[in-house]
Amino acid sequence: MNNKITIGIPRALLYYKYNVLWQSFFKELGIDTLISPETNYEILENGKKNTMSEACLSMKIYVGHVDYLKDKVDYILVPRIVSLEKGMKLCTNFSALYDILNNTFDINILNYNIDVDKGITEELAFIKMGQELGFGKILSLNAYKAAKKEEYKQNKINYLLQEKRLNRNKTKVLLVCHTYNSNDNLVGKLVTDNLKEFGVDVIYADIINPDGDRLLYKNISKALYWTYNQELLNSIEEYKDKVDGIIFLSTFPCGPDSLVNEMCSHKIDKKMITILIDELSTIEGLQTRLESFIDILRKDRFYE
Amino acid sequence: MKNNAYLGVDIGSISTKGVIIDDSNNIIACEYIKTQGNPISAVKQLIKSLESKFDSNLYKIVSIGTTGSARKLAGKMLGATTIKNEITAHAIATISIHPDVRTIIEIGGQDSKIILVDKKIVTDYAMNTLCAAGTGAFLTNQAKRLDIDINDFGSIALMSKNPVKLAARCSVFAESDLVHKAQLGYKKEDIVSGLCKSIVNNYLNNVAKGKKILSPVVFQGGVSKNIGVVKAFEDELKTNVIVDDIGHLMGAYGIAIMSKKSVKDNDFSFRISDANFETKVYDCSGCANNCEVIRIYKDMKLMDSWGNKCENGLK
Amino acid sequence: MNDKVISFPILADYNTPIKFMIEKMTNYEVRLSPKMTKNTLEIGSKYSPDYACLPFKYTLGNYIETLENGANVIMQAGGGCRFGYYFELQKQILSDLGYNFEFYSLTESDVNGISSIYKTLKNLNPNIKRVRYLYYLLLTFLMIYYMDKLDMYIRKNVGFEINKGSFDRVKKSMLTKFSKTRGFLDLIKTYYYYRKKFKNIALDKPKNCLKVGIVGELYTSMEPHSSYFIERELANMNVEVTRYTNVTFLLITKRFKEKYYLRKIKKYCKFTMGADAMDNVARAKILIKKGYDGIIHIKPFGCVPEIGAMKVLENLCDDEKIPIMFLTFDTNTSELGIKTRLEAFHDMLLMRRGNEK
Repeated sequence: MNNKITIGIPRALLYYKYNVLWQSFFKELGIDTLISPETNYEILENGKKNTMSEACLSMKIYVGHVDYLKDKVDYILVPRIVSLEKGMKLCTNFSALYDILNNTFDINILNYNIDVDKGITEELAFIKMGQELGFGKILSLNAYKAAKKEEYKQNKINYLLQEKRLNRNKTKVLLVCHTYNSNDNLVGKLVTDNLKEFGVDVIYADIINPDGDRLLYKNISKALYWTYNQELLNSIEEYKDKVDGIIFLSTFPCGPDSLVNEMCSHKIDKKMITILIDELSTIEGLQTRLESFIDILRKDRFYE
Repeated sequence: MKNNAYLGVDIGSISTKGVIIDDSNNIIACEYIKTQGNPISAVKQLIKSLESKFDSNLYKIVSIGTTGSARKLAGKMLGATTIKNEITAHAIATISIHPDVRTIIEIGGQDSKIILVDKKIVTDYAMNTLCAAGTGAFLTNQAKRLDIDINDFGSIALMSKNPVKLAARCSVFAESDLVHKAQLGYKKEDIVSGLCKSIVNNYLNNVAKGKKILSPVVFQGGVSKNIGVVKAFEDELKTNVIVDDIGHLMGAYGIAIMSKKSVKDNDFSFRISDANFETKVYDCSGCANNCEVIRIYKDMKLMDSWGNKCENGLK
Repeated sequence: MNDKVISFPILADYNTPIKFMIEKMTNYEVRLSPKMTKNTLEIGSKYSPDYACLPFKYTLGNYIETLENGANVIMQAGGGCRFGYYFELQKQILSDLGYNFEFYSLTESDVNGISSIYKTLKNLNPNIKRVRYLYYLLLTFLMIYYMDKLDMYIRKNVGFEINKGSFDRVKKSMLTKFSKTRGFLDLIKTYYYYRKKFKNIALDKPKNCLKVGIVGELYTSMEPHSSYFIERELANMNVEVTRYTNVTFLLITKRFKEKYYLRKIKKYCKFTMGADAMDNVARAKILIKKGYDGIIHIKPFGCVPEIGAMKVLENLCDDEKIPIMFLTFDTNTSELGIKTRLEAFHDMLLMRRGNEK
């Protein structure tokens, strides 16, 4: 491989978690990237066409983005992540992503594989990916380290901005939702745009303090082993006393959320609402639910 | 000497169909009525009406087949010689009429299915797994909501130039979508046409997902009578879609053909319509399994029962 | 608290070895969960989150029924995918319902299964010696291994027994005998005795009978209630059935087979795909190569890893030109609907056979 190639990055799923890391890494190596646009209905339709009907909405969106990129780039980045820490897991979709996509489209996939339980760390995975792209070990490692620094910086900025929002005197709602959903045009944005219109400040549970206490989740659930849900629960513990209410937002039928969100509803004493978005959810229906929830929160504030 | 004739009955959730054929598979009598939630009276009514259309001086019925969701019940009532599922029945019927058929699309009252055929052999089939969206029951519901006669549904759809985008998975979901769209002031024909399109999309995305649809394509089941849906299928598949006049009778026709293999030499009497049938559902208490046992009585006498899963249960 | 009464969720016939193991390792009464009925799923669903997977609902139903029946200690096995998280939430739900009980997940305290089970059992019986523990653990493993081995034979042949119920009767008496096992020698003797008995059951089996392979999610595959007794339905249609998922596989062989399986389906999978998804693709391939007529894939609604496997299975079966049927089980799945599909699948396989001749 040479560096005149373009790597396509689907703007879905892990993109929202790792876009800074990916883009800085490829930039360090001088490789061009093409990112698919914000999710639109055409992308969703194409995703639906190419996935099993029962797959979760986030997966359908992801496949739609890959479909968008498939004829426009040389390689599409599809990582496989089993575990990011010892004893921890991600939803099995992330283990299967590579093989599912390979069985769906006739495309060239650039893949990296993280499985910390088996000793394959993110660093090793990125070095291997760099080598596959034709770069040396040292070069790849340096690119990874530089990218990691960028990632940290960005996470810290996001966190500080959120701290600022927390100190404003407005109605505040904590949105508990996977990063890939909270930022998606047809999932989280439907909710956050509406909330902003109602004059509500949104606190994102998926914005995480990179230097924060990572064990707060144990107050809610000791046995939890899904990394991303653990991060969300950490945020709930950190923010719950500073917000007026909590919105749990999931895509249908998310496996981990189905259990973890139920656990939260047993453990947290706070005004909350669960919203499940699927491919058929309508904006009108959503607005009604959000508005009434906000009304309830505001009444609480009036009477205090 | 009378000629042999074969009776096929297809009893579904919405409609009950009966067909009598002769040795060369010609239909000599047929009937189509609504089940209206009462399969016993539907079967009786069907048989009565078939009797009036049937020349018992020329023919005698030598075999009976039943199919559809109440196939077992109907089979017991009629003393059927063949009781088979409707998927196979549909396939057999279609292949006998269109020997070159490759794809059979069937959308009925509660089920939709796709059957792939190659050289008169069924090679693959699939059925809706998730829910009843996009089926006849769904369309009837929507028509009611829009205050349209279901029989006009198709022709209204054809008037539309700009079908509305609608979702169709669960009736519950789509209804709220439909209500919103109607309130936004879309034209009725555009909504109706949008519904037809959404049914086709739902079918292709769920039931027929991953299946290669080759022509000739035959479209059957109650919904095939809706020209709006037929048109939407043709637009989407970019091929001609065949709809038979007897498309709604295919299940009954197929089971009649299949019953030929199990001919019993006893003359079937139409007297069944006078007998008194009754079903009772028991929760068996023979063991902790609490099987739901269905018993059928003819003139107060227990004929048969089924549903029991073990030997120490009720009979 | 009075004396402890231990119980655990039902999984097919594995009640026998599990009860045996717990009895030998603790000094408490083991009371089996009441038999699974329609009611089990009904109560289970009532208190479960709506879109939790079906095994969650079945096992929660088991727990409620067994607690009502007087048990006050529940053990469960844990496992991968969502299974490992069941117990914490189920414990929470049950405590909020007002039940007072102890709850142990055998694999909760340690990544290593064997020492984790030991630690859990130590809570219930502080005096248990490591040697005694290992002895009975191995004995139980062997019992499960034998059961699974004979079950493979039963599935292949039960559809062809001349006297209906012969296999069931022999199996019942075997399980009773197993539950009274005195040691390794006794167990081995019992095994060979019953193996002979099974092989002596009169069969009317044509050489070229229809063969169907079942692959899919583990609970749905193993617990017959959750698949509406799909294997029995197939047997009644005179079909030979093979299903590789069993406890022996999950506990022991899975880890050894990973590389072999991946090699078998190199063309389709580069990695494992979570839970048993990749394994199921490989098994489908193996079954097809063995000349099976069709594959049935079963899973509870929303099962993430198996939905991933479906995409790959579709490609595999398309390439091999072997029909595959996907069945999804949910709380409102109609039994008649499943039967109709099975019957049609069976008819189709017969028709295809007719074509080949």
